[in-house]
Amino acid sequence: MTTTVPLVARAIQISKYFGDAANPVSALDKVSLDIHGGRFTAIMGPSGSGKSTLMHVMAGLDNASSGQLMLAGADITSANDDALTTLRRKQVGFIFQSFNLVPTLDVRGNILLPFELDGRAPTAQESAWIDRLIATLGLQERANHRPHQLSGGQQQRVAIARALGTRPHLIFADEPTGNLDSRTGREVLGLLAAAVCEYGQSIVMVTHDPIAASYADRIVFLADGRIVDELGRSSAEQISSYMLGMERVR
Amino acid sequence: MSVSTSARASKEHGASILVTALASFFGVVLIQATAFLVDIFGDTDGAAITALYSVALVFIGLALYVAAVVTSNTFATIVAGRTRTIALLRLLGARSRDLRRSVAGEGLVVGLFGGAVGMVLGIGASHLARAVAVSTGQLPDVSYTSVQPLVVLPVVTVVLTTTLASYVGSRKVLDVTPVQATGGAVDSGVEAPRSRRIRTALSIVMIAGGVALLGLGVLIGMVNPGGVLVAFVGGVASFTGVMVGAYRILPATLRLVGRLSGRGPAARLASANALRYPDRSTRTAVGLLIGVTLVTTFAVAMYSYRTMLVDEYDEATVGQVLTVTVGIMTGLIGFSAVIAAVGMVNNLLLSILQRTREIGLLRALGFTRKQIRSMIVSESTQMVVASMGFGLILGIVYGWAAAQSLLGSLSDRGLTAPTLPWAVIAGTVLCGGLLALGASLTPARRANQISPVLALADA
Repeated sequence: MTTTVPLVARAIQISKYFGDAANPVSALDKVSLDIHGGRFTAIMGPSGSGKSTLMHVMAGLDNASSGQLMLAGADITSANDDALTTLRRKQVGFIFQSFNLVPTLDVRGNILLPFELDGRAPTAQESAWIDRLIATLGLQERANHRPHQLSGGQQQRVAIARALGTRPHLIFADEPTGNLDSRTGREVLGLLAAAVCEYGQSIVMVTHDPIAASYADRIVFLADGRIVDELGRSSAEQISSYMLGMERVR
Repeated sequence: MSVSTSARASKEHGASILVTALASFFGVVLIQATAFLVDIFGDTDGAAITALYSVALVFIGLALYVAAVVTSNTFATIVAGRTRTIALLRLLGARSRDLRRSVAGEGLVVGLFGGAVGMVLGIGASHLARAVAVSTGQLPDVSYTSVQPLVVLPVVTVVLTTTLASYVGSRKVLDVTPVQATGGAVDSGVEAPRSRRIRTALSIVMIAGGVALLGLGVLIGMVNPGGVLVAFVGGVASFTGVMVGAYRILPATLRLVGRLSGRGPAARLASANALRYPDRSTRTAVGLLIGVTLVTTFAVAMYSYRTMLVDEYDEATVGQVLTVTVGIMTGLIGFSAVIAAVGMVNNLLLSILQRTREIGLLRALGFTRKQIRSMIVSESTQMVVASMGFGLILGIVYGWAAAQSLLGSLSDRGLTAPTLPWAVIAGTVLCGGLLALGASLTPARRANQISPVLALADA
């Protein structure tokens, strides 16, 4: 790993427990992870491995029980809710499995929502960028449609445009292809990979799908709340057989 | 076989029980108070007693009507929140008619429970107030009725209207398809406007005809006090027209208020939310609209009478009697507005519970807790401003028409401008402001307990 690439997020010895103090359930057990800028990182693992929890904690959506967290150059270990919210608004983008567009807003309204939440209009430069995104993602004809008038693939493209719109330090994608058919899913993954190599966007994607992970530059494997291994760019076959091997060892 | 569609019925029905209990309490207290009045003036004739009870029943009817509107709306909202469960039960083979009957059965239980609680509290409160008044010398120490049998009337009516209202409100159960349980269905998030041409046409005809009769009544009133009867028919017709067409009028009013309420993200989302389910917003606002219209109509009419009468007769006597009458009437009608307010708070709360995921999303994307709170305050303010503003305008028109058509012939000046009871208007606006704020406190607190993680959780 080159050390010249800046870190956009860093988890140091993160643990997370759920349940009451007398009977804690461990979801993350002293996880340390560095996320480098301009790269597409996939976090993989079986259900219950803690991959979603790791993402929530790293994105400042949930508090860790112990450990230290850096995000977009700031130490967020003990940041309060308002500070975290502002940080998310300005520096983090999200793409969800179930798209999560606001049903009362049209396509353009959804894409501009992060600016609205920030209480400002996009600058001329940002508007040009958003127009380019809308064109690239093939949404020109749909700009005034409401989410329920769009197909799943179109909704996810709106969500991608929303996440890229503010040019955040880091985008978190949670099973972005989980609700899409395989062809549409591959299109969406291609768009995410293109955002990384063309615009230098940093993306962390949580997935259990080897095909999705094969679009990433780096694949981190989680099991039982611990990082067990990681791979560089790999094919879906390599990732599948690696995961099968993990299962056998356990 | 009866299948329940709810796992947390008691929690959802808290507000409906409160509304039913309030309505039953109000009815019982009013009947008891009337009985005490009859006890005091023991030697009055039968006609006067009948008149007293009739007046009491009119006010009880108003409160029950508003309570029924509120309850039916609450049930519709509850059913909307249970769509997934209902769909699952349909998928597993439940008939939609049976499911609807089960929801209406919950209405019966709510009605029985709320009605009984209201009756017990009402009888207790009426005797407590009487005992205090007797001991302080405000009421004479005569033998008072313990329980006037007529109290059964409002209680039974409350049970019936609540059951009926829950049945009407559960109509949407029939629209739920089993497919909605599979998660493939997309929540459109907005209610499709239904074509209701007949309803709209009926509303327009009633409003136009009612306004014409109001005008005619005022004209006749310039020569003959009988004009008030024509104006009364016109008032009832046009207000019914407004009720019939409320599903178009109130969303339009809300849209106007929304446009005036600022450009910030919180205000903009709030007005979009208020317009998202126009039927639900309409039902929420209608209760308050009725209450405010009635209060304003009475107050404006009474004060306008007073102005006209004072011109003709002795100022001191007329003034005092009318002030007391207006006070009592306003208080009695105001109770309907209280019931409407409870319904409004509950509706807002339910709509927050049903928007958990969306609020989680806004939090994840960077809405601070403060912004969520101001969004919800703005939603409730828009609702209150729309229904109160509209109600004030209607009330002033109706009140003026009533006074003018009855007493126009007394004054040789022709038309007199309405006398605006600024104290009542200021009081209404103040109560509205408190209501908007109060209606948003609990929902806002609930909304801010929602973790942004919820937006990422798989549905």
